[in-house]
Amino acid sequence: MLIRFITTFIIVSIVNLVFGQESTSDRGIFSGAFETNANIFLRDSAIGAFNTPQYDRQIFGGEAWLNLNYSTKDLQISTRFDMYNNSNLRVPNDSYTGIGIGRWAVKKTINKLQLNVGYIYDQIGSGFIFRAFENRPLFIDNALYGASAKYDLGKSWNVMAFAGRQKNAFETYGGNLKGARVEGFVQLGSEEKPITLAPGFGFINRTISDDAMTSVKDALRTYQPVDRFDPYHNTYSGTFYNTLTYGSFNLYTEAAVKSKDIFFNPFAIKTEILGTSLSKLENKPGSVLYASLSYAKGKFGITGEVKRTENFNFRIDPNLRILRGLVNFLNPLNRQNTYRLTARYSPSAQDISEMAYVIDAKYKLSKSLSLGVNYSDIKDLDGDQLFREVFTEVLYKYKRKWQITAGVQTVNYNQEVYEMKSAAPIVKTIVPYADFLYKFTPKKAIRVEAQYMDTKQDFGSWMFGLVEYSIAPKWSFEASGMYNSKPKTKATGEIPKKLLYPTFGMVFYNEAQRYSIRYVKQVEGIVCSGGICRLEPAFSGVRMTMSTIF
Amino acid sequence: MNNLIFFKINIMKKIAFTLLMASTIMMSCKEIVMTLEDPSIPDSDRVVLVEELTGASCPNCPRGTAALENLITEFPDRVLVVGIHGSFLAQPTSKSKFDFRNPKAKDLENWFKPWIGKPSASINRIPFDDGIMLDAPDLWQAEVENELKKPHEMNILLDSKYDAGTRKVILEVAAIPLLNLDGPHKISVYLTESDIVDAQSNGSVITENYKFNHVLMDMLTKHDGDALASDLIKGNIYKRTFEYTLPVKEGLFDPKRMTLIVMVNKEQGPDKHVIQAAEVHVID
Repeated sequence: MLIRFITTFIIVSIVNLVFGQESTSDRGIFSGAFETNANIFLRDSAIGAFNTPQYDRQIFGGEAWLNLNYSTKDLQISTRFDMYNNSNLRVPNDSYTGIGIGRWAVKKTINKLQLNVGYIYDQIGSGFIFRAFENRPLFIDNALYGASAKYDLGKSWNVMAFAGRQKNAFETYGGNLKGARVEGFVQLGSEEKPITLAPGFGFINRTISDDAMTSVKDALRTYQPVDRFDPYHNTYSGTFYNTLTYGSFNLYTEAAVKSKDIFFNPFAIKTEILGTSLSKLENKPGSVLYASLSYAKGKFGITGEVKRTENFNFRIDPNLRILRGLVNFLNPLNRQNTYRLTARYSPSAQDISEMAYVIDAKYKLSKSLSLGVNYSDIKDLDGDQLFREVFTEVLYKYKRKWQITAGVQTVNYNQEVYEMKSAAPIVKTIVPYADFLYKFTPKKAIRVEAQYMDTKQDFGSWMFGLVEYSIAPKWSFEASGMYNSKPKTKATGEIPKKLLYPTFGMVFYNEAQRYSIRYVKQVEGIVCSGGICRLEPAFSGVRMTMSTIF
Repeated sequence: MNNLIFFKINIMKKIAFTLLMASTIMMSCKEIVMTLEDPSIPDSDRVVLVEELTGASCPNCPRGTAALENLITEFPDRVLVVGIHGSFLAQPTSKSKFDFRNPKAKDLENWFKPWIGKPSASINRIPFDDGIMLDAPDLWQAEVENELKKPHEMNILLDSKYDAGTRKVILEVAAIPLLNLDGPHKISVYLTESDIVDAQSNGSVITENYKFNHVLMDMLTKHDGDALASDLIKGNIYKRTFEYTLPVKEGLFDPKRMTLIVMVNKEQGPDKHVIQAAEVHVID
């Protein structure tokens, strides 16, 4: 399979290069990208970096991906080599090794028809009912292994249909998916002040494999009669979406529904022979409603979003948990923070019960001074608070010499729900932060980050500092440290040690190539989802990365 | 201009209508309802061992416990359970009196890797897709049933004597294969304790009066077993004697609540499946 595909890839590329037309676009363009991570695991039991195969005996682990693309005016062939070598991405406390062709795809355009076969990445609307995507750091590669056909109905409308199976590492899951999407663009109103609409409608059908259904039946027959239901292989889901633009306003709306579907509910009460327990398979319809309204004019911009989610866990196999086999993607509505401590307590989108609001406003007072504020509020459908964040930001630029970004963030984070920590109080944090950039010369600059997290819950309070010195365009050096300055006293009365988690690193750029090496000590965390708790272990060791495009 | 807009909206309506019709037709296709049938389990003396990874601070673990109690109720004397409180989420809760973690439990928890989370269980150490641990308690019963359908291959006879003065327990084991069994085999002896009332994380709360059963307190063999023999011969008797002195620990190691579980498993490369298991109480 691998050899056959590579041979085909090379032959098609050579034939096109040799016998193709004279123009560059007809001769084709060959491009690619390479990315690799290499980790050296240095055991450190003080921070919990031990008891995995990598720390115990393997010492080394890493991943590599090589993309190769060949494209002409109407043909695109792409393939990707994947290598996981003692990797901890798939299961964080274990080692995974797998090498092979991770993806291949062929796209051919014939007049108004576009055909895709192989491993396809695509989505319908925002992805609420279907999203085939890749997220390497989380070992997510939900490509659709199958075929799709897209037909252009004039300049503004197109219809696309697809069918296939979902990728699972170097194999595919059982069960299959098929769906269709129609999208278009309509302009209304006057030429001077047009109203534009970009409506769409999508539909998907998922059929559970016989093996997965056997597992569902095996589970259901152990349930008490009150919790049993008739399982079906097929689930149908549809969505309407539209982007409306008028002047400075932009409104995106989407409504997705799902027919009765078997899914695992970690919060449902299950009747046992004696008493009850938590979590079971359920068979219920679901829905997601989402709207985003933004306004931007001159120095002011504001965006408001609202999302309501009910029973929308949608997987290729209802027996899968955590990040495996997800057919769709539900975006979290909170601000996506980048600083270490402001990003420490981030909520994941809740697919069973969630009502989320966010409002984000920015105002530019002058060329050198701008303000930003973001407010997020997430509750479950019973009104219980899950997450709340207020984030403020002030950016001041002094000519091209220096700039400072500073602000305060407050967060209320429900650990009971997001991490399934029993009897855990709401984590309340206040994080003041500052990011200062000073340019000695146009090429030499220093950046300093300082953050402090004040909290009495979870691990207690933290400090974080970073210094980064860059010599453009080749070099960047950094040193940072995260310090548990006021650790929370344990239930046993024991006061944990004040631990420092340092990082030292350097990055080298050579045109499109980027090389980095870092010595890292990273704090551990527990992530629970779908009724299973997953340990994201502490890391101690050396991380090297390299990436390039060509 | 208006005609063009009308034309576009008309196309949009037609396409949406076609897709809506297609989806309605698909959704109206009725499947045949499946029946949930229980398998027939043959009568035999085959006993299945379930080794469960659990922990007092594991909020999802009570559903594992419930699944195991259902199994014991459903198949009395045919299923034995060992609850392994190793490292991950096994630390005492803020309301716990006891710490069930011990070196053998920690070693076993590591030995069972890879596993994704807790609760996870091995059913007679048979392999699944990602190792020998199965992290879906809903599916444990089906796997136990599959194992119970397999032929009974060995009898394990146990005799225990307990001296209350010295707190010493002597266990005599006789393993008698019912057919020739190729390859090397190991024997493991688990000491478990039940009816311990303490706090357990349970979803978003901590249940203070939670009853812990089958808690692995120690092992009388190495965590991955001691060598029994290679190429076991039908009808031969393979005897072993084990001695253990119960430690004195307030609220724990109560001989009245303790059980010795003996398991013989094959140990040939990745094949580590359990041949047979048996139990005897420290004090009858």
